[in-house]
Amino acid sequence: MPRRMSPRSLALAVPSLIAIAALTACAGGQSAAPSAGSAGAGSADPDAVITIGSENEPTSLDQIFGGSSGVTEAFTGNVYEGLFRITDDAEVEPLLAASTDVSEDGLDYTFTLQDAEFHSGDPVTAEDVKYSLDRFISEESIAARKRQLSVIESVTAVDDSTVAVRLKTPSISFTYNLGYVWIVNDTAGDLTAAEDGSGPYTLTDYRKGDSISLEPFGGYWGDAPANGGVVYQYYADPTALDNALLTGAVDLVTGQSTPDALPQFSDEGSFTIIEGTSTTKNLLAFNDRVAPFDNVSVRKAIYSAIDREKLLDSIWDGRGELVGSMVPPSEPWYLDLVDENPYDPDLAESLLAESGYADGFSFTIDTPDSGVQSTVAEFLKSELAKVGITVDIRIITDDEWYQKVYTEHDFQATLQTHVNDRDINFYANPDFYWGYDNADVQTWLAEAEAAPSTDEQTELVKKANQKIAEDAASAWLYLEPQLRISTAQITGVPQNGLNSLFYVRGIEKVAS
Amino acid sequence: MLRVLGNPVYALISVGATEEDIAAAAARLGVDRPLPVQFLDYVGQLLRLDLGRSFTSNLSVGDEVLRRLNVTLPLTLLSFALSVLIAIPAGFLAAWKARTWYGTAFSALTQLAGAIPVFWVGILLVTVFALRARILPAGGFPRTDWEDPQAALRALVLPVLTIAIVSGSELARYVRSASLDVLGQTYLRTARATGQSFAGALLRHGLRNGIVPVISVLAIQLSTTFVGAVIVENVFALPGLGDMLLVGIREQDFPSVQGVLLFSTALVLLLGFVADVLQRILDPRIRGTLSGNHRSRAAA
Repeated sequence: MPRRMSPRSLALAVPSLIAIAALTACAGGQSAAPSAGSAGAGSADPDAVITIGSENEPTSLDQIFGGSSGVTEAFTGNVYEGLFRITDDAEVEPLLAASTDVSEDGLDYTFTLQDAEFHSGDPVTAEDVKYSLDRFISEESIAARKRQLSVIESVTAVDDSTVAVRLKTPSISFTYNLGYVWIVNDTAGDLTAAEDGSGPYTLTDYRKGDSISLEPFGGYWGDAPANGGVVYQYYADPTALDNALLTGAVDLVTGQSTPDALPQFSDEGSFTIIEGTSTTKNLLAFNDRVAPFDNVSVRKAIYSAIDREKLLDSIWDGRGELVGSMVPPSEPWYLDLVDENPYDPDLAESLLAESGYADGFSFTIDTPDSGVQSTVAEFLKSELAKVGITVDIRIITDDEWYQKVYTEHDFQATLQTHVNDRDINFYANPDFYWGYDNADVQTWLAEAEAAPSTDEQTELVKKANQKIAEDAASAWLYLEPQLRISTAQITGVPQNGLNSLFYVRGIEKVAS
Repeated sequence: MLRVLGNPVYALISVGATEEDIAAAAARLGVDRPLPVQFLDYVGQLLRLDLGRSFTSNLSVGDEVLRRLNVTLPLTLLSFALSVLIAIPAGFLAAWKARTWYGTAFSALTQLAGAIPVFWVGILLVTVFALRARILPAGGFPRTDWEDPQAALRALVLPVLTIAIVSGSELARYVRSASLDVLGQTYLRTARATGQSFAGALLRHGLRNGIVPVISVLAIQLSTTFVGAVIVENVFALPGLGDMLLVGIREQDFPSVQGVLLFSTALVLLLGFVADVLQRILDPRIRGTLSGNHRSRAAA
C-alpha cells in the first residue's frame, strides 16, 4: 500500500470554536428552543437526515458513463464500495477485500472478500467483483481511471469469496486505483437510474436537476451511519446554494466555489467553515509542442513573471496553497518546489532576452468560462504585460475546451483546474494535451509504477516531480482550498477534498 | 437543428480520456452515425411519441418533461394569473385616470417595473423575504412535489411574484392602451346617452371591444411567462423545465434540449389556437373573415 509522507501542516480554519456560539443565534423563522442549558453539549440525533448542498450534480448515476466527480461525491463509499477505500488522508484501507495476497512478481493479486450483502439482498460474491472490474475497463466504459486499470489482464472467480486478478505489468498503485472502482451486483443491469451496491446507504429517490436521497441500509456489514440518512440537494447557481445554507434549507455545502461569499458565513457566528486540502490544481498549461513554448526558458520566464502569492491572495483571500509542480502536499512524492521558479520579473526578463524575445511576444490563453478563470486570466495578462508579453484572453466553454484544447491540441496556452489526485502521470504522456515530452520523466514514471516497493516508487516519482518543475512544463499557479461550510449543529464532515470523495456516514447533527 | 450544440461526447469525458474512449462514447450515443440517419431515427422515435433518452443521464426525456411540469406548469399559470390580476385593474386605472397625477405615476411605475430584469427582481425578493425576514424559502421545491401542497405553494410564492411583477407591468401597458382606446370611443358615449350607467356601458360594450386585442397579447404573454420561468427557475433553484433546458444546453444533451423545445413549441401553438378561438367567440366581426386571426398567428 502506498505510504504517505508527513504532510505539510495545513492551516485548519476554526473547527469547533464558532460551533459553540451558534445554536441560539440560528434562523429566526424556526426559533429553535435550545434544550437543557449548554447548547454545544447537545447529543447527536442518530435519526437526523442531513441535507447536503452541492453544485456538483452527477450527470449520470453510473460511474462508467461520465460525470464521475459528482457521482463520486454522492455514491463512492456511500452507496457503492470498492475493494479498497481511500481515506480522507489519502491512505488506502481494505474495504470489501478483507485480505489481499500479492505474488512475488507483483502480477498476481488474490483478494478474499468481506462477508457483505448488496442492497437487493444478494451476497457480494467473487462473480460480482469479476463483473464489476470487467465492466469498468470494458470498451464502452469512459470511467476516469479506466486507463490505469486497463493493466488488468484477467479476473477469475476462484470460489464464492476469492478473486484472483492477473496484471499485464506490475502496478504499485493498483490497490489505490481499485479504491475508485465500485463493486456492483452482476444482476443489477442498467445502473443509470437505479443502484445495487453494498454501501451503508441505499438510494431512495433520484430527482435529476434537484436531489438524490439516501437512506441507511439495514443490512450493512459494517458500522451503521451516525445519521438517519442524507439528501444531496443540487444547485446550479452558487448564490442560490449560499442562500439555502443561510436560511437553513441545507445543513452544509460540500464546496464553496465563490470566495467572495465567505464573509457572510464567518460573520454570523452560527456556521463552521472547514478548510481542508484539495487535489485541485489551477494551472496555466502551455502547449509545449509549439513555439515559443517549446523553449524551456520561455516557460520559466513566464512562470517567474507571475506573482502567484498575490494571485492566491486576491482570489482566495490567503486560503489555499502555492505549489511549484503538479504534486499537492497530500501525495507521497510531494516536494516543496515553489522556489524552483521564484517570482522574479528581472529573472523573467533576462530569460526572455536569452531566448531571443527581448521585445516580448504575444499569445492567447484559452480560458474556460467557469469559476474564477476569467479573473485569473486578467491577472496573468497584467503580470505578463510588465515583462513585455501581450496576452489575448479567449473565453471558451468547457465542451469547446475538450474539443479544441484537449482533443485537437489547437491552442497556445490554456487555464485549467486539474482535480484528480496522482495526476503527475499526465506528464509521462507526450500525447496529452500539453504535449510535455521528456524521455527521463517517461522512464521514471513507468519504472515507478512497476516498482516493487512504495519507497522505490516514491523516489522515482520525486525525480519526475523535480524535473517537470525545473522544466516549467506548465505554470502551476496554486492549489485550491477545500472549503466546506456547515451550520453549527453539524459535526463529522470529511475535511479534505481528495478527488471529490465525500464519505457521509460520520456526519452528525445535534438535535435541536 | 440537429447538432447546433456541438459534439455531446465532449460533455461526457473527463481529463484522462483517450481517443478510444471518445469513440466508444460516440458509438454508445449513436452520434457517430451519419446525420441523416440520426435525424430519421429521431423522427421515427417522435412518431412513436418517444422523446428518447438523455445523452448524459440516460433517463427518459418524456418522463423527465412530465415530472418537471409539476414545477413549471403551476409556476407559469400562477404567475400568469397573478400578472393578469395586477395588470387589468392597474392598466385600466392608468387609462381611466390618465390625466391625474396618480394615473401618470401608475404608467411610470409599470414602465419601470417592466424594464427591470427578471433575475434582479428575484434576487431582490430573496434578499428581503428569505434572507432578511425569513418568512419564505429562498429557493428549491419540496422533494415530494405536491404531496404537501402548502410547502409546494410556499416554494412558489417568490418565483411567482417575481414573474408577475415584471410581466404584469408589461401587460398593464397593453391594457392601458386598449382601455384608452375604448374610453375614447363614441359608442360608449352613445350607450351612456341611452341611459346606461358608466360601469354598465363599460361592461356591456367596452369590455368586449377592449378585450379582443388584449387576448392575443395574453397568449403571447403566457408564452413569455413560460420563458421567464426558465430564468426564474435558475435563480430559485427550481427543478423545472427551464432548468432542464439550461443544463441540457450546457451538457450538449440534445434529446433533452429538443424534448423541452418541442414540448414548449407545441404549448405555444396550442395557446395561439385557443386565443384565436376565443377572439372569434367574443368578436362577431372576426367570425365573418378569414383574416381576423392574422395578428395572433404572427404573434404565436
